[in-house]
Amino acid sequence: MSTTEDKTRKVKLVTSDNEEFEVDWEVATRSVLIKHMLEDIGESEEQAIPLPNVTANVLKKVLEWCEHHRKDPEPAPESSDDNRKRTLEIGDWDAKFIQVDQEMLFEIILAANYLDIKALLDVGCKTVANMIKGKQPEEIRKMFNIVNDFTPEEEAQIKKENEWAEDR
Amino acid sequence: MASSSSATSGALSLGSIPPAGADLETTWKFLESGIDHIMCRLQAGMSYSTYMSLYTTSYNYCTQSRIQGHVGLGGGGEGAGKSGASLMGSDLYNKMTKYLINHLMSVREGAESLVDEELLQYYAKEWTRYTTGANYIHRLFAYLNRHWVKREKDEGRKGVYPVYTLALVQWKQVFFNHIQSKSAKLANAVLRLIEKQRNGETIDQSLVKKVVDSFVSLGLDETDTSKQSLDVYREHFEDPFLQATEKYYKHESDAFLSENPVSDYLRRAEERLKEEEDRVERYLNSCTRKTLILKCEDVLIRGHAETMREEFQTLLDFDKDEDLQRMYALLARIPDGLEPLRKKFEEHVKKAGLSAVVKLVGEPGAGGAAGAGAETLEPKAYVDALLEVHRKNSETVTRSFRGEAGFVASLDKACREFVNRNSATGASTTKSPELLAKHADALLRKNNKVAEEQDLEGALNEVMVLFKYIDDKDVFQTFYTTKLSKRLIHGVSASDESEASMISKLKEACGFEYTNKLQRMFTDMSLSKDLTDQFKARMEQSHPEDSDMSFSIMVLGTNFWPLSAPTNDFHVPKDILPTYERFKNYYQAKHSGRKLTWLWNYSKNELRTNYLNQKYILMTSSYQMAVLVQYNDFDTLSLDELVNATGVGKEILTQVLALLVKAKILINEEKEQYDLNPNFKSKKIRVNLNQPIKAEVKAESTDVLKTVDEDRKYVIQATIVRIMKARKTMKHQPLIQEVISQISQRFKPNVSDIKKAIDTLLEKEYMERVDGTRDTFAYVA
Repeated sequence: MSTTEDKTRKVKLVTSDNEEFEVDWEVATRSVLIKHMLEDIGESEEQAIPLPNVTANVLKKVLEWCEHHRKDPEPAPESSDDNRKRTLEIGDWDAKFIQVDQEMLFEIILAANYLDIKALLDVGCKTVANMIKGKQPEEIRKMFNIVNDFTPEEEAQIKKENEWAEDR
Repeated sequence: MASSSSATSGALSLGSIPPAGADLETTWKFLESGIDHIMCRLQAGMSYSTYMSLYTTSYNYCTQSRIQGHVGLGGGGEGAGKSGASLMGSDLYNKMTKYLINHLMSVREGAESLVDEELLQYYAKEWTRYTTGANYIHRLFAYLNRHWVKREKDEGRKGVYPVYTLALVQWKQVFFNHIQSKSAKLANAVLRLIEKQRNGETIDQSLVKKVVDSFVSLGLDETDTSKQSLDVYREHFEDPFLQATEKYYKHESDAFLSENPVSDYLRRAEERLKEEEDRVERYLNSCTRKTLILKCEDVLIRGHAETMREEFQTLLDFDKDEDLQRMYALLARIPDGLEPLRKKFEEHVKKAGLSAVVKLVGEPGAGGAAGAGAETLEPKAYVDALLEVHRKNSETVTRSFRGEAGFVASLDKACREFVNRNSATGASTTKSPELLAKHADALLRKNNKVAEEQDLEGALNEVMVLFKYIDDKDVFQTFYTTKLSKRLIHGVSASDESEASMISKLKEACGFEYTNKLQRMFTDMSLSKDLTDQFKARMEQSHPEDSDMSFSIMVLGTNFWPLSAPTNDFHVPKDILPTYERFKNYYQAKHSGRKLTWLWNYSKNELRTNYLNQKYILMTSSYQMAVLVQYNDFDTLSLDELVNATGVGKEILTQVLALLVKAKILINEEKEQYDLNPNFKSKKIRVNLNQPIKAEVKAESTDVLKTVDEDRKYVIQATIVRIMKARKTMKHQPLIQEVISQISQRFKPNVSDIKKAIDTLLEKEYMERVDGTRDTFAYVA
């Protein structure tokens, strides 16, 4: 059906706040969701693809990433999963790209999850992981604005259960 | 379908997406109408927005915050227990499963009344529709697959599959197993269709392919869904298919053979095998190829191998090349299928060879004696007859048996047999090599018609074809050497080039030693030519007055030439005596210590007549010359006077004279009285008087054989000594075996000859019996 050779093909995307983006096929299909849908239904010039879970300012950011990574090889399906997860390293460009405020960071993660863009999801999650790393629960709660809803007993229990993970 | 009633027809518009956080009821209602559209009316099309809204709905449901279900530790949320690890999805998954079961129940109903092709068409159509839809849904539920299904599987729960696999599992359980349970209705319909095709009818192959492919797809490995298992295909299709195939071809081949000749059957079997190969290619799983073809080979070939082999002789007799090719190709496919053919072929070739010789010389006499015509047998006719048998059967091997090594070996074995032992040879093993050597001689002689008309090189190659089969190569060697020496001495060789080519062929076949003598003979010839020239040059300087006599000499190494010196005391005639002396001196001066033996019996001369009106040139042997020069001084001489004057024995001289009388040079009117014929006349100026003497011709063959026997004795003895020297001690039997194996390249030694040789060596103390043993020998250094 669709081949990556055709550079001129364009795909129209419409965000939840009704903004329309026209991007290259190669860029749009970084999203496995879009790629599969185009494969299943076929391509159509007139139809725009609605993305009800993504807003324009987030999509803009996501597309920036997709544009930069348009030539990346497709990741091997399952096998590299473990390797991918084990390292927290982020490429230079990606590290710079992900220097955004916390809200945008979570929006990007959600969008990557929704659009099924594994590599971008990884970049986002690794960034969050790096933020948490080496911090005390209280600091983390503060950073992410989390209300502690544990009772002291519950908290002691959890601490005890996860003692093995303490970095001593 | 009941569940589809809520959807509107045509391109679907689903209305608005349920809001994020919508409950299961609302969510499923929305999703189900979309799923139903995909499964049942996909051809009506689908918009991006429908697709996206379905995806988004399932995504939203699966990513719902679990706060509402999360009522604290040990609460009854999704996957009760460790609530923190729970993911939304099982409700959707269960709804989906129920939908599929419902859907398939109605598919199943549609198939109830159908059989055979109608059933297959229905099945194939439904399969395509169902699997296409399932693929869509699988992707729409990508999030469910990625997270909830994956987690369930990781936690080891059985019976949870990604959506597409789930759809296949349900298809198999609800629909497939149901129709198959009714006397394998589906598989049997496929088999009946295949049988129709085997019977020559046209069938819809794509239909068969689709159904068979579905069998493969339904093979799901329970433990790892990414792996394909061929269990379903094997159990429901391949096994019954192979059984049906066996039954079909057993019946067909029996029936066919009872009504048709074997040669037709060969073609039929070949076609059938090809067809089955194609069948696998067209619509079966490639894993079936091996077993199917084995099964067919077993039924079609091995089942009738005996019948085919019985026909083999007839095919050979009538040169049915194509049928032979087929029989070969078929029997080559089954284990040990060819060996009986090879044996029969060997027998056939042997018979052909023997009967070709019988045609020439008649049936062999009693007790293995040669046939009646063997005495007068022309070498060329004999060789041609043998070659023709070889050529014809060799072509059969190449053409019909693809030059297969086993058949080549059969051909060689048979040829070796009839080339050495046939009705022309009788019990003699030396007849064939003799005839072959004579034929080679005829080819290599000047004025040979073969050399002019055809390609001499080709004819020599054909000699080598038979030579390869000759057991007693030493006999051939001896005859060949004798014949070669004659050709060289008498200057009747066709060309040096052909001689050299033949020698190099023999060398290639038997090694350097075998042709060493032959090559030395050539060396002697060319040295002699130089010698003659040098001597001539010398004589022109020292004795210019004798220039009217020309002289040429051949100096031949005693060990290399099969020539024997005359026993008489030949008186060198005074006319040539000066030249004779001068050469002797010249040669001795050049090579002191060498002994020259003059072979007058091989020399020849040319004499010019002065006593007749017409001048003739008489070409004579030296003995004739010695006689004739006596008539320079006398007109009449008696036998005794001639014996005295020439020194040639009476017996030989009588024959020499007989030839001269026959040629009318001399007149023999009174007993033992020979007069010069003053009225000699001849049509030709050059008169060849040098005919071979009969006694010589006859003696030749027996002489050659005597030489061979002598040589063999020494070869056997030398071989034994060589073996003993290497092994030091050896038992009797192994020694004999070793000798035979070492010598058999040159000739087949008799065991009794070997025993004799051992006795001789014991006597001469080259070896001894080991004390206390009866049959062990030790080498004596």
